[in-house]
Amino acid sequence: MSERRIDAVAKATGASKYTADVVLEGMAYAAVKRSDFPSALIENIDTSIAEKMEGVLGVFTAKDLPVKTNLYGRRVFDVPILADGRVRRVGDPIAAVVGTSREIAEAAAELIEIDYKELPAVTTAREAIKSGAPLVHERPWEYDGAVVTPDSGSNIQSIDTHGSLEASEAALRNAVHIVDEIYTTPGDHQGYIEPQSCVVDYQNDGTLTVWATNKSPYRLRDVLATVFSLDPKKIEVMPTILGGDFGGKGAPGDAPLCTALSMLMKRPIKMTLRYGEDLLSTDGRHGSEIRVRLGIDGEGKLLGGIMEALLDGGAYAGFKPVPTVNLHGIVDAAIAYRIPEFFVESKIVYTNNQPKGHMRAPGSPQAAFAFESAIDELGRRSGMGPVKIREVNLLSDGDVNPYGDTWIEHRGKEVLALATSQPNNLQVPKGWLYGEGVAVYARSMAAVPKTSLRLRRGQGGKIIAEVPIPENGAGGQTVVREMLRSGLGLSADQVEVKQVSTSLLPTDAGVGGSRVSLGVTVAVANAIKLWKQLPADQDLVEVTTTEGSDGPSGAYSVQLARVAVDPATGQLKVLEIISAVDVAEIVNEKAHQMQIDGGTVMGFGFAVMEDLLEDDGRVWALSMGDFKIPNVADIPTLTTVLLRGGRGVGPNNIKAVGELTNCPTAAAIANAVADATGARLRKLPIKAEAIYWAMKEGNAR
Amino acid sequence: MKITFNLNGKGMELDVDPMSLALDVIRGLSLTGTKEGCGVGVCGACTIMVNGSPVSSCICLVGTLSDKDVWTIEGLAEKMPELIDSFVEKEGMQCGICTPGQIVAAAAIDSVGASSPEDIKKYMAGNLCRCTGYQTILSAVEEYVAIN
Repeated sequence: MSERRIDAVAKATGASKYTADVVLEGMAYAAVKRSDFPSALIENIDTSIAEKMEGVLGVFTAKDLPVKTNLYGRRVFDVPILADGRVRRVGDPIAAVVGTSREIAEAAAELIEIDYKELPAVTTAREAIKSGAPLVHERPWEYDGAVVTPDSGSNIQSIDTHGSLEASEAALRNAVHIVDEIYTTPGDHQGYIEPQSCVVDYQNDGTLTVWATNKSPYRLRDVLATVFSLDPKKIEVMPTILGGDFGGKGAPGDAPLCTALSMLMKRPIKMTLRYGEDLLSTDGRHGSEIRVRLGIDGEGKLLGGIMEALLDGGAYAGFKPVPTVNLHGIVDAAIAYRIPEFFVESKIVYTNNQPKGHMRAPGSPQAAFAFESAIDELGRRSGMGPVKIREVNLLSDGDVNPYGDTWIEHRGKEVLALATSQPNNLQVPKGWLYGEGVAVYARSMAAVPKTSLRLRRGQGGKIIAEVPIPENGAGGQTVVREMLRSGLGLSADQVEVKQVSTSLLPTDAGVGGSRVSLGVTVAVANAIKLWKQLPADQDLVEVTTTEGSDGPSGAYSVQLARVAVDPATGQLKVLEIISAVDVAEIVNEKAHQMQIDGGTVMGFGFAVMEDLLEDDGRVWALSMGDFKIPNVADIPTLTTVLLRGGRGVGPNNIKAVGELTNCPTAAAIANAVADATGARLRKLPIKAEAIYWAMKEGNAR
Repeated sequence: MKITFNLNGKGMELDVDPMSLALDVIRGLSLTGTKEGCGVGVCGACTIMVNGSPVSSCICLVGTLSDKDVWTIEGLAEKMPELIDSFVEKEGMQCGICTPGQIVAAAAIDSVGASSPEDIKKYMAGNLCRCTGYQTILSAVEEYVAIN
């Protein structure tokens, strides 16, 4: 495909309009006063000084909200729009100011005086599950959507398990070599460059118009309808462009608060987070502590495995959208391997920390770091070596994975062979230690999601495709155009693709789960079929996909990291990351490659630099100066090798790619550091100091 | 207070608080291609060109622009179409929020004379991108530098 992406010129010239660029007549600006304590009762809120400030139009607290419920969420409704009597984390919004400018609203919010009575806080997941730990929520089972019961144990958000612990323990007792280690990862943030923003306009006739940095407009509409007892038909979530998402923009964000404020003020309200507020108050990646036990027999075959993950869910469960209120990437950790007995438990707990949600392959980066480090350790300890142990235990065609599924093909071993057979042209700094590490990741292909699409005749033989979801950058709208172009024999400029507001199409599941291309290709293929049969006097077809699956199928990625470590200081240079990727047909080569490269760089950031620095109930990395994501000079050489010819899903025979390459990177780098130095780093991010001390403390070669 | 400067090639006189942020003043003129990202001069999304050098407008007081030659993405898009073409042809973008800043920074690359791939990398390190993995952005800048 040679035609350039649909949004390229508008984005390159600065013409593209994002949520923060929306300005409405009569619009006022909101800002919030946030909690200073991780756990406290609110004894008094004094808004009198803020109210007197010039330019302040109104100051509101929880009691003022015109809502059926002050709680919202993606599945569990446990997130307060404004804290009511109690705060559960630093950053909980307590009072909202509406002003004539953003600066006035922000300044006035700081003039609100809160009297707190501090309560004991739980600030680590480990503390939270101790009996007698302070409870973040007294009765969490009472929230709408909760999956816990009074018997679940203290501070539990959700527990997801698979397999039998007893059988796995029994299997491990027969093992010749065993690994039993704990791996930890920090709270992380999606690191999109566009802070969250929304503009809400409520009119007296009951119509609500919303612009929001939100990737799931239909779900946002439904949440607002529930919270405010509104008819969903009267809510319009408008088209927008997302300035990066990576899972962070699925939650309603501040749209519920701004809806309330627009109702109260009878004018449009805009609220845009400062980046530090976004780091503090949105929903990043769960920090984790994962114990992995694996055992092999004398031939190196895995006999059993046990993985116990404890994840810090923060103060609210409401940012996880799936029915389990868990992260399926944790439970799926062993998906690439043949393990007769595998038990996994993923326990997510409430703490008084920032609530966590979804970030690019939810659960998988943490789980892959733990599992792929553990299997590497086992390979090295048993003398098999890290490549051989994977070759022996990766699934082959016809094998059943630990979850009982038989995929239509398994190409993990071929992808591994590709990753480990690339030429090496690197210059290693003189006197530095060199090492290589490998890590495997596989994910099952997303089922066809619910989505809808409409084709219309435009002027001059043009076709207009109306789609329900915002362009998040991955290129979904360009995929639609390319399919229509080739399917209907048109030129690129004869096809116009545009997102329309939520009342104009029936449904969509939102961007996520590596499913956009699949859903879109199914919908577009159906639409093309109908369009070709369309009588000449009609000008419209509309299709809605139903949820379903072509599978079970999946895709593999294997990364090989090449690193150098300065033995004097522990300084780490990741020289190259080779990403070998299992693909079928590729709809858009450039966009596909950018998903691979962008994912790898995100995995690299997770491995060596990103950390919200959560401690004592606070996020300490409150600016991009402290919360470091990789810049262009930080990153290693990125090499991609594609294993083409796979069997994909959908009418275009594709394999998902968006969440394949950010998952194995951290383990590949940790394994390479172990190869170079003998020192095993089991905690992310991997910093020079940690390598230095790990080398010094005796396990270095 | 009145401040005069050249904006996108035209003389401009504004009556503003000189302590306002250049970012806010520029966006207030409906030039919304300049984006607010980190707000602390790290991410580069708000990059403007001042007397030929890249400047983070989120940490730049508008008073300091007095008598300067200021360009935003909107002006540069007209003045330097070949640079826009490089980014479009190489698809040096995904979500696009960092793209104007990347392009303005690239437009000011003559201020340091970077030309080798290594120099270009170092020069562009002030503009973060979370989507692309940077490869297409580097290709775009390298192509632009090669043409010039």
